[in-house]
Amino acid sequence: MSEGGEKVIEFEWGTRRGVGGRKKDVQFYESFSYDGVEYSLYDSVFLYKEGEPHHFIGKIIKIWETSDKSKKVKILWYFRPSEILNFLEGSETLHNELFLAAGEGEGLVNVNPLEAIAGKCNVVCISKDSRNPYPSDEEVQLAEFVFYRFFDVGKCKILDNIDNGIAGIEVKNIFNNLDSQKLVGLVKPGLDKKEVNGNFIASNEAVALLSQKNSQPLIEKPDGKCFDTLVRENADSKILLGKNSTCSIGVKDASKPTNALHTITNYKTMPPAKVEENGSCKVSLDKQKSSNKLSHGSRASLEMGETTKMDDRRKNVSTDKKVVMSRVDLEIDDFYDVGAPVRKVNKGFAEEKASKKGKHGSFGMASSVKLNNKVQNRRFILYDDDDNDDTVKAVAPSSSKDKCKHQRDSCDVEELPSKKLKIDKKPTKLTSDKLCKESSTISPNVEHKLDFRPMEVTQRPDVDRSKWFKEIPWEEKMETAHEQGKLVLLQNIDPSLSASDVQNIIWTGFKESCTAKMIQKTAYSSPHSGQAVAIFRKKEAAESVVRKLDEGCFLMSNGRPLVGSIGVPSFPEKKPIFYGHHVVDQLRMMQMQREMKDAVSTSHCSQPNNIEYEMSIEWCLLQERESKSWRKLYQRQGEELSKLRAKLKSKV
Amino acid sequence: MGSSEEEYIAFEEKVSRTVYFDNLSPQVTESVIRTALDQFATVKNVKFIPNYIGPSNLPKCALVEFDSTKKAKEIISMVMGYPFMMSGSPRPVRARHAVMEMFDDRPVKPNRKLMVRWLEPSDPDFQVAKEIKKLTRKHAAEIQFMHKLQLAEEEKLSRQQEDTLKLHYKKFKLIDGIMADKTAHRLARKYNLRVTDE
Repeated sequence: MSEGGEKVIEFEWGTRRGVGGRKKDVQFYESFSYDGVEYSLYDSVFLYKEGEPHHFIGKIIKIWETSDKSKKVKILWYFRPSEILNFLEGSETLHNELFLAAGEGEGLVNVNPLEAIAGKCNVVCISKDSRNPYPSDEEVQLAEFVFYRFFDVGKCKILDNIDNGIAGIEVKNIFNNLDSQKLVGLVKPGLDKKEVNGNFIASNEAVALLSQKNSQPLIEKPDGKCFDTLVRENADSKILLGKNSTCSIGVKDASKPTNALHTITNYKTMPPAKVEENGSCKVSLDKQKSSNKLSHGSRASLEMGETTKMDDRRKNVSTDKKVVMSRVDLEIDDFYDVGAPVRKVNKGFAEEKASKKGKHGSFGMASSVKLNNKVQNRRFILYDDDDNDDTVKAVAPSSSKDKCKHQRDSCDVEELPSKKLKIDKKPTKLTSDKLCKESSTISPNVEHKLDFRPMEVTQRPDVDRSKWFKEIPWEEKMETAHEQGKLVLLQNIDPSLSASDVQNIIWTGFKESCTAKMIQKTAYSSPHSGQAVAIFRKKEAAESVVRKLDEGCFLMSNGRPLVGSIGVPSFPEKKPIFYGHHVVDQLRMMQMQREMKDAVSTSHCSQPNNIEYEMSIEWCLLQERESKSWRKLYQRQGEELSKLRAKLKSKV
Repeated sequence: MGSSEEEYIAFEEKVSRTVYFDNLSPQVTESVIRTALDQFATVKNVKFIPNYIGPSNLPKCALVEFDSTKKAKEIISMVMGYPFMMSGSPRPVRARHAVMEMFDDRPVKPNRKLMVRWLEPSDPDFQVAKEIKKLTRKHAAEIQFMHKLQLAEEEKLSRQQEDTLKLHYKKFKLIDGIMADKTAHRLARKYNLRVTDE
């Protein structure tokens, strides 16, 4: 039935739900289509009221048509942070965060005419509640709003969790369901729901399969998602049944899930199995005549690099974080036993698996090592260790084949095409010959030329030098260093690195030792990159480092080229100017004395009944404006940076 | 590895108990902070963040460590809810939760491997990396400029407030003056009005 009137807004009822009301003349519905958009129960929508500047956002919890043919919806409200400022108690809110109303009282729900709805709203629940299917990063990015907290309208308090439903609706309808993914994917209502869901199931299941052995966070997702898909498909069916049946879909579609796997798996530290692998690796390499020596053998974490011949596939999968080994488990049954080096000798294949800490005992070895003198390409796989959702990346092969030839007479690998199913960006995992790599670092060829291969950042030797000197305060050191020209400012460093990391990086890259100190982050610092101040031993060292950094490109993890310049430190002035503290001249003398004596009485919270309060509010306003402008600046800078970084094909 | 992990976790815990204050006047010293905040919670440690590369007139920042995360949160909500002044008014201080990167003595993140690499000039990524370097420098310049603008804004507001303050003070003094020397009363008698003493 369509709406009449001058402006005909298309309307159509969807699925019926039942009848109710005192005279059984009220018809409830589950969905409807209004103005070309399909709405269902528990969707989040915008509502518009004449005269209000902002749309309200609410969740439809009931839809019905009364006996006199008027259409109503019951809305459960979301609060914007600005609406509940007084109750936030200073907790930080995201710029697009909402709070779902909970509890009981006025302001929880309202009945509105259906025509008040002004559009669908993409609200994603990012609550870490186990009952909530946690959305992917992409979904969170695409979401117009997010929520994970609730506002109890009765108690006027922020809640982080709710136990049971709100306003009579169950918890599962409060959290994300698979339908919200439909929104994200911009699926048209006409599409076969099942099909859409099917894809999701596949990826979810694969994740679920993986997650069964993997870390905690994953488990929530697949469970939740599967759960909700099935609820959707048949309202009455139980989850468990459905999950089992979809399992098979997942395994079949192995290709898809692997992508999802790539994006979802987390990596922890190297499984102990790796250490074993190194051991077995060593064993297998004994038979090669290699002049490799372990130069940095002590590091427990292994860096596996290997030469393989990969003609067409430079699989460089990007990751954002630091690198460690990790493997992606593509298929559960496809384990290749690493422990048998003998097997490797004759077959080589590149594959990758993700393994969790210790959970998987076996991992695939990428290739065997042959005793040729011909080195084709070299590739290192650098694995991401951090809490991110990306996977392994392979580094571009070294181009200086000749150099490699000398260095690795015995590290030659014959690579067989991967046995894995095709995935778009399949990193190749190469097992190493760690010894091979090590040898390269001590090969005489490398000394004076720039080594273009990816290097693991190693601990700088003689770290404890001159411990017996009393440490001069850093500021003095900086001043003297600046005068002598030994001070270098390093920029574009990953903010989470620490001073010793920076020192090690400098050591690995330039074979120069320095003392570094990270610039501490303040409210105004860029969240995208950090800076450090490094003091070198000699002026020439500092200058050469700066020059090398300028001319060449020294790439750190995450596609960050290190930027260096001769540092000009800024020292606090003798009489710094500070804006904002006013003293009436005549009272100045009196006040100063009082301040010096008694910090407590002069440190206070301003009460709203005096002029000081008004002025302080003006300052607060200025501060807020400043933070907002910083935020915007950094947002823009971040976008510019990520655009460029995306262009980098190979990342360390 | 084990001990560094524990170190890291302990450090993270410390970070959660620390509050970052800024907009501090240069007169604020450690003891001032301690006395000021001791009213609300026990202050375990105060450390100022040195300003090595920014413009030299930036207001100071400090990291104050409390003895529990809950107290830290309370302090933050209080300072953000009401304007809190330290050593002078009316510019209030600002408080935030501290994060790892604010500490320069943070421990190395355990179990993390770092990789570095020199790019060859023939590598297409070389150009991209050069662009990134340029961009970094540009961003740094933008940040410096932003600081300058910020300081200019602060100065403007500060002058404005000073002027208003002076004006108000003059007015009050005037009123006080005429009350004190009874000018107001004389005038009132002449015009048959009542002077209400407050």
